[in-house]
Parts: sequence; C-alpha cells; structure tokens
Amino acid sequence: MINKYLKHTALAFSITAASCVAMAQEDAVTIYGVKSLSGSFASYGKYADMGSKLAVEQYGQVLGKTPSYKAIDTEGNAGKALRKVQEAISQNSAKFFDGGTLSSTSLAIGKEVHKSGGVFITPAGADELTGVDCNASTFRWSVPTYGAIRETVIPLLKEHPEKKRWYTITPQYVFGEALLSNAKTVFDELGIEHVGNSYHSLQEQEFSGYVTNAMAAQPDVLLLLNFGSQSSNALRQAINFGLKNQMTILLTWSSGLDQFQELGADITENVYFGAQYWHSVDTPLNNKLVKEVKEAYGITPNYPLAADYISTKLLLDAIVEAGTTTPGDVIKALEGKSYEGPTGTETVRAADHQVLKNYYLLKGKSASEMKNADDFAEIVSYGKSFPDESSLECKGM
Amino acid sequence: MNKSTSIFGGVTIIALALIVLMPILLPSVTLATEILIFALAALACNLLLGYTGLLSFGQGIFFGGGAYSASLVMLHLDFGLISALITAILVGASLALIVGALAIRRTGIYFVMLTLSFSQMAYFLAYTFSDWTGGDNGLLDVPRPALTLFGITISDLQSSEAFYIFVAAVFAIVFVFARRVIHSPFGTTLVAIRENEGRSSAVGFSTNHFKLVAFVISGAITGLAGALYAMLLNFAPLSNVELLMSENILIMTIIGGTGSLIGSIFGAGAIVMMGDLLSSIWPRWMMILGAALIAVVLFLPGGLWGGIISLTSKLSSIKVKKNLTSEVTK
Repeated sequence: MINKYLKHTALAFSITAASCVAMAQEDAVTIYGVKSLSGSFASYGKYADMGSKLAVEQYGQVLGKTPSYKAIDTEGNAGKALRKVQEAISQNSAKFFDGGTLSSTSLAIGKEVHKSGGVFITPAGADELTGVDCNASTFRWSVPTYGAIRETVIPLLKEHPEKKRWYTITPQYVFGEALLSNAKTVFDELGIEHVGNSYHSLQEQEFSGYVTNAMAAQPDVLLLLNFGSQSSNALRQAINFGLKNQMTILLTWSSGLDQFQELGADITENVYFGAQYWHSVDTPLNNKLVKEVKEAYGITPNYPLAADYISTKLLLDAIVEAGTTTPGDVIKALEGKSYEGPTGTETVRAADHQVLKNYYLLKGKSASEMKNADDFAEIVSYGKSFPDESSLECKGM
Repeated sequence: MNKSTSIFGGVTIIALALIVLMPILLPSVTLATEILIFALAALACNLLLGYTGLLSFGQGIFFGGGAYSASLVMLHLDFGLISALITAILVGASLALIVGALAIRRTGIYFVMLTLSFSQMAYFLAYTFSDWTGGDNGLLDVPRPALTLFGITISDLQSSEAFYIFVAAVFAIVFVFARRVIHSPFGTTLVAIRENEGRSSAVGFSTNHFKLVAFVISGAITGLAGALYAMLLNFAPLSNVELLMSENILIMTIIGGTGSLIGSIFGAGAIVMMGDLLSSIWPRWMMILGAALIAVVLFLPGGLWGGIISLTSKLSSIKVKKNLTSEVTK
C-alpha cells in the first residue's frame, strides 16, 4: 500500500516537474533573427546572423533563463521573409525580432510584428521605418539619410572649403531620392553649387555613362548616393576613368569594412566614405565587441555584425529592464533608453523609435599606411544629426 | 468521358486529397497556403506551356498586376474580398490580352523574347509609379477582408487556417474549371495547336485567336493568384512583378510536369518547400534547384507527376506479370 502510494506520489512529482520544465522552456526568451542567409544578400546576412548569435550566447541569463536564438532566412525576398515571420508568430508565439537587411523586408515585418503586438529592432535603411510608416513595435538602429548626409557632406566641406561644385549619382528609388533631397538641402545651406545629377535604376551595374557625365560637368566633388554592389561598381568605374585625380569622391552610405575589403586599398585610398560603424572606434562596448568577435570568429567586426549584435543586445537589455516578456513593457523600457553602444552613448528616441547614434566620415588609407589587414581608413569626423522632433513624419506612436 | 478524364473524378480527387492533407502534413498552414497560391499560378502557366506550347516569361506581369490591383482597390476604394478578387481576375486578363495580342504574332524564340521584354517593362513601370505601387518598398498595409456573401459574414479570414480553407476552395474551383477547359473542344484544339500549329491552321482553326484566349485565361488565373498572395502577406512586394517571379512560376510548372494540372501542386510544393527547408541548411541551395531542374528535364520529361505515373504503371505491369506467371505455373 505504502509502495503504491510512494509510486503515485513520485509519478505526480515527475509529471509536475516535467510540466514546470516545459513551462520554463516556453517562457524562456527567444530572439528571432530575420537574416538574408541565402539569396542575393547572403554575404550580408551571414555576418548579421553571427552578430545576433554572439549577443545571445554571451548574454547569460534573461529573467532567470537562458535566452535562445532562432534565425529566419529571408531568402533575399520580402514576401518569403514575411510569410516565415507570420509562421513564427502563429506557431511559436514569437514576440521579439531583429534584423531585416532590405528596407522592403523590414517595413513589411515591422507592420506584421506590430499587428501581433511584438517588438522588432532593425538596422535597415528606409527612413519610412521611423517616418511615415513608423509604429509602436518597430525600432531602428541605423542613422537615417538626413544624418548620413549631414555627417559626411558638412565635415568634408569643412576640410575642403574650396570644393564648392558637387555632382551626384543617385539610384532612382525611395532611398536614393531621400539621400538626394537631403543633399540638396545641405547644398543650399552651405552655398554648394549642384552642377548635375545622374539617376540610375536599381538594377544598373554599368556606370561608365554616368561617370563620363560627371567628368563633363567638372565638379570638385563626386557624391555617390548609391549603396552596396552598385556603389562599389560606380566607385570602381569612376577610378578606372581617373576621376580620383580630378576630384574628391565621397560615397555617403558605405556598408563599412566588408566594402573596403571587397574594393581593396588601391581603390579606397583617399576616397571619403560615410559609415554607420567602424571597428576602430574607441568606445568601451566596441573594444569589447572587437575582442569578443576576434575570439569567437577570428575576424574584425563589420557593420552587419555590429548592427545586429547591438540590436539583439538592446532587445535583451530591455527585456531584463522591463522584468517581463510582455512586449508592451519591453517597448516602454526601450523608449528613451540610453546605453553604451558600439558608437558610444546611444539613445532610443521615444517619439519615433529612432536610435540616436554617431555617423562616421572615413578617409581611405593607402596600403602602406595600413597597420593591419583591416586598417583601411581613418576616422575624419563623427557626430549625431537627426531631424528635430517637431519635424518628424512619424505619427503612429 | 472515362473516369480519368471526368471533371470531378480522376486527378480532381487526388488534387482534393492533397488540399486536405497539405495543412496536416506540412510544418505550417501558411506554408500550405503559399504552395496552393503558387500552384494556382503554375496551373495557369501550364495552360499556356503544357497545353498550348507557349513558353511565357510574362506570368509575373499578371501575378504582380493582380496583387497590385486587388491591393489598391481594397486600400483606396474599400472593395471587399470577392470584388477585389474579381478586379484582380479582370486586370490579369486585360494585361494578358495586351501582352498576348502582341506576343502571339510571333512564334518560338521571338515569342519568348517579347514576353521577356514585356516583363521587364512591367517591372520598371511598377518601380517608377512608386506612388501607387510603393516602388522598391512594396505596397504595405494590404487588408485581408472578411468573406461576406449576400451581406452575411461567413468568416473574417484572419486566422491562417480560415484563409487556407478559402484559398483551397478557390483552388478547387479553378482546378475543376481548368479541367473543364482542357477537356472541352477548345482545350483539344489548344493541344492540336501545340502539336502542329500549321496543320491546325490548315484545317480551319484561327490559331492566334485560340492562343489569345488561352493567354487571357492564364492571365486571369495568375492575377487571382497574385491577389491571394497579397492578402496572405498583407503586402505586395515589387518582387511579385520581377522577372524572377516569372522564372519561378515556369520552373514550378516544368518540375511539376507540363501538360498535367495536378503537376502544378507538386511543382509549387517542391520549389516552395525546397526554399523553406534547404535555405536554412545551405545558403547556396539554389544550386540544388538548378540540379533538380536539369534532372527533371533530362530524366523526367513529364515532371514529378509524370514520374509518379510512370512509376505506378511500372509497378502495376510488374504485378500483372507476376499474376500471369503464377497463373501459368498453376
């Protein structure tokens, strides 16, 4: 009889313990990283994934439990990404997302996560994320086009006040137009003469025609407003045409270290680049990040790695600060939060969920000046430029 | 009409069985919904490629056209579900009428090149008119209206299961319609055109008119698929109208099996699931897709469905042989 009683009690305990473990596992924080692991942006997504993974692995406990990380491959396609995010929300009750390389992907995911009441932090480029299409669930780490232009054009003109004739090459889509419009405003403010602009399509890879147009206009500065492989190709072709000897070149929205590695010092030497992140920035968190990334992966962190690392860490910090996984409380913890990020002290602006951080103007070094394989550029200047709160287009908070 | 060619029997039963089994067997209902939507697009492409012999790279135009038009009328004119879908069907058909009227004037490689050119043109139009299409960012906030018939709301379609049931019902209707089309004298004429256009013309058929009607039907169904995709995602990305979309629909059709409507489900299922499962394992999974396409073209000319059919007939012939042998030995 006693044996039977003990057996039943043990069984009851086992069942209770098992259910507690199951409940504990359900409650553990999972960060869903939306990354382009395959498709045309796989090289970017690979580093972004490494960043998020590292942030979760090194974080320790979150609300008494070990956090986990699950990658969602966007396949470089906004539609596929969205469907997979929908799946994660409906099947796994996913609440916390980060990443999203493409603007279209991030905008759509931001809306979907908002609909389900979750939280999403992205480093994507579209100004609409914290502008007309902002919402309570979406936060953005990268500096908008407004800041990218002001933190590159103004300091470059300070360095070369005599260079007053500028020519622009612009991709004709929302992002390119935003950069151009901000550049024109700065040109007007500083008395810069905009001697011409060449538009190109999103699929363009051959820029010689635009480069010769720029040569014909005889500007002092060639301002490249495109991004990724298009900016690399445009720069390569401009240098092949000998433009570096005739004018200063500024690529305002570079993708950072990986772009320098792809182009090589021969091309990047004496060219100016705008960057969201640079590995040699001397801040406590960046020094720690560089050390940890070297230990974990044997590489120097680049922009996608750093951006997704800090987005993930920020999300985990906010959950710890909120003391709960309720998204509403996590959003409140994020709003107005100041923290040590890779670019120094960074602040999440409550009004539009934009992270206020530094943007860098870099100048390419010659191969002989490089102290190590990744020492491609010196930091010329840095600073924070953001639209004033009264002029924000974000009305969705 | 025998059992296998009956509209409601034969492969229709298999298609219905697949529709019922997919949400149970697949990892998620949304995945099953995406497969059915692309199966619709592949089925429409099959009407052209499999039954009429027209290799069109313009399917993305109709898919994107359907997605944008349904989204726009829902966003700006407050259209309901059915009226938005009808709009997408009409827009898909109209676009196909325009593209088809010009493209079918040429045959072979010139026809393919014309559809390719239209496809590029449509992409740049969608990209340029960003005030309407959202340009590179896509059209956001696309609603998924409730299913309302005669003023009675049958379902709000907000849950993924409810939307799957709706898409499955639409697929079943279109499948039966397509079967009716291909088994009609019109469908038989299309096959005759595919086999020998000159001879069909010689016996008195206006082949261009037949091809144009096939094009319009295909465009209408593809437009419908595009609208359903926008409703599934609540989003109409620019990639809907890219050349890659047309290529994907074509690959689904070829892998599933040209000339078999049921093959569309297999083709769409194979491609969507391959992306879903393999992409997280190996970033270069598209190479496997390429290898699969080569393998199908070389070794399974009838596609996956053709492979299943030949396997079943081989197995049944072995069984017959065994039975004969055992009877002889008795």
